[in-house]
Amino acid sequence: MDRRLVIALPSKGRLMEKAQALFARAGYDISRIGHERGYRGAIDGLENAEVAFLSASEIAHHLREGKIDLGVTGEDLLRENIARLEETAQILTPLGFGHADVVVAVPESWLDCATMADLEEISEEFHARHGRRMRVATKYLRLTRRFFARHGVTGYRTVVSLGATEGAPAAGMAELIVDITSTGSTLRANHLKVLDDGVILRSQAVLAARNEAAADPRVQEMQARLSAALKEG
Amino acid sequence: MPASLTAAQRKALQAQNRAIMELFESRGFEHIRPRILQPADVFLEKSGEDIRSRTFLFTDPDGQRELCLRPDLTVPTCRYHLAVAEDPQREAKYCYRGPAFRFHGVEDPLQADEFEQAGLEWFGHENAAAADAEVLGLALEAVRLAGLSSPRVMTGDPGLLRALLHSVDMPQRWRRRLLMRFRRPEDFRATLHAMAMPDEGGRTSASDLVDRLAGAENVGPEEAVALVERELDSRGLPLVGGRAVEDIARRLLEKAQDRRTPPLPREVVTLVEDFLAISGPMHTCAAALEEIAHRAGGAMEQAVATFAERLSLLPEDGGTEFATGFGRSFDYYTGFVFQIDAEIAGRTIAVGGGGRYDDMLAGLGGPDVPACGFGLHTERLLMAAGGA
Repeated sequence: MDRRLVIALPSKGRLMEKAQALFARAGYDISRIGHERGYRGAIDGLENAEVAFLSASEIAHHLREGKIDLGVTGEDLLRENIARLEETAQILTPLGFGHADVVVAVPESWLDCATMADLEEISEEFHARHGRRMRVATKYLRLTRRFFARHGVTGYRTVVSLGATEGAPAAGMAELIVDITSTGSTLRANHLKVLDDGVILRSQAVLAARNEAAADPRVQEMQARLSAALKEG
Repeated sequence: MPASLTAAQRKALQAQNRAIMELFESRGFEHIRPRILQPADVFLEKSGEDIRSRTFLFTDPDGQRELCLRPDLTVPTCRYHLAVAEDPQREAKYCYRGPAFRFHGVEDPLQADEFEQAGLEWFGHENAAAADAEVLGLALEAVRLAGLSSPRVMTGDPGLLRALLHSVDMPQRWRRRLLMRFRRPEDFRATLHAMAMPDEGGRTSASDLVDRLAGAENVGPEEAVALVERELDSRGLPLVGGRAVEDIARRLLEKAQDRRTPPLPREVVTLVEDFLAISGPMHTCAAALEEIAHRAGGAMEQAVATFAERLSLLPEDGGTEFATGFGRSFDYYTGFVFQIDAEIAGRTIAVGGGGRYDDMLAGLGGPDVPACGFGLHTERLLMAAGGA
């Protein structure tokens, strides 16, 4: 008898709708158990499995903790929340929706700042002038650290921002931000611009599995059927 | 190691540390106990984000202040000095022993998140070269006292590169750029070579504006400020992000000036690369540095003379190595730096390190005070000396 599989799907919003529609096209009908807002569900076409409806960031955390075997969530959340992703889980299939970029954005009024190399110089000048470090507002602490270190920008501090990050520079809470953007319109409305080489990650929704679940034939079949459904469009 | 210390090991550690502290105190260093809990800001502003990612941070129960468990004892000792010294510029010598905390997140007794440092800091000394030599000498005495028979010492001096760059003709902004990239050898090399090319290459989204400035007949600070003001005004851009129009204009002007600056001569590139290739036993390096100073002249001659003076004062020790590139990854050191390595279970690991950090006290709001010191990792030292 196979082990019971727990698959997590986004519980609300467009991510939920798109995921359910794609799974249906691949032959997996998903229904919620109990009332319409229930947090557990059943999945037709997958043996001995149950569905957990969670927020996209909970799905990343639960994958890390091993509370679920696989799930649909944003690549940005996986890479941010799981320290050494490849040791824990793997991305099986990008799902073609939920596209958004994690970017470094600075005030548009910084006319002299186009690249991470500019930012490196500006961070040193900022420290010399103000006696404190330039602040980066973000919820992506890990992605920011890794990207900034790779570009040699070390003279900064992160400020945790869990909402309306793009407003932080205007509010005087930070000098620049690292945030997710799909069209860039919110950034422009806040007079921010993405650096030329400031795209940290081109993210989208993905199906990801814990390493020990990835070899399960049911998971491999799901991966194949989802890929086929994506190809058919 | 702390978690699994046996009674015998704990006794050995205590004995080792008592001997080390007695040595420090016998040389005139006052034994102090700086606070373990420190305001987070101080450390976060002094160190880069890489230290922040290793520092245990939390908010006090009132949710008012951000605090940290000290990641080392140097900054707490500096703060102690500024808080208690009547005249912070007067000479002061402190030693300490106590826990420090750095997150490694691995199951490795050599990289415990909580470890113990014993060390000393010396402020306001008269002769920097003599103090550097005495401090390294004390560190070596202490590790020998602990039973480490053949410590390996690696030394460097980030101040030498600064002196070298000031000895050769180039715009100040290029020096700044090179010094900033010293920490990353590949970027440093790429930057140096780009400066020797007729055109610095790559267009960016700021290039059009730089073109307009560089193409103008008069290019000076006023023109740059006027250009920035016109541009912000016509595009309706608010000035946010803590930088003034002058800051933005100055960097645009520098970019425009870069277009007109003749490339760095080849021989300067060679000089800098020859300098950075120097490494080996200290006495051999001294001769190589003399040769560089001869070619460069200026501030480099003085800096190399100081190097030679310090070398003459160092304890006779065949194991002392030097490299011009050493110390590039250390955060706040301004001059002589050293690290003491030992073998532990087949691994080479640092049991101590220190150096000169003349900017620190001023950076913490105090006056300009010369400063140097070191910290020893007492548990690693015990293991390296075979006591655990």
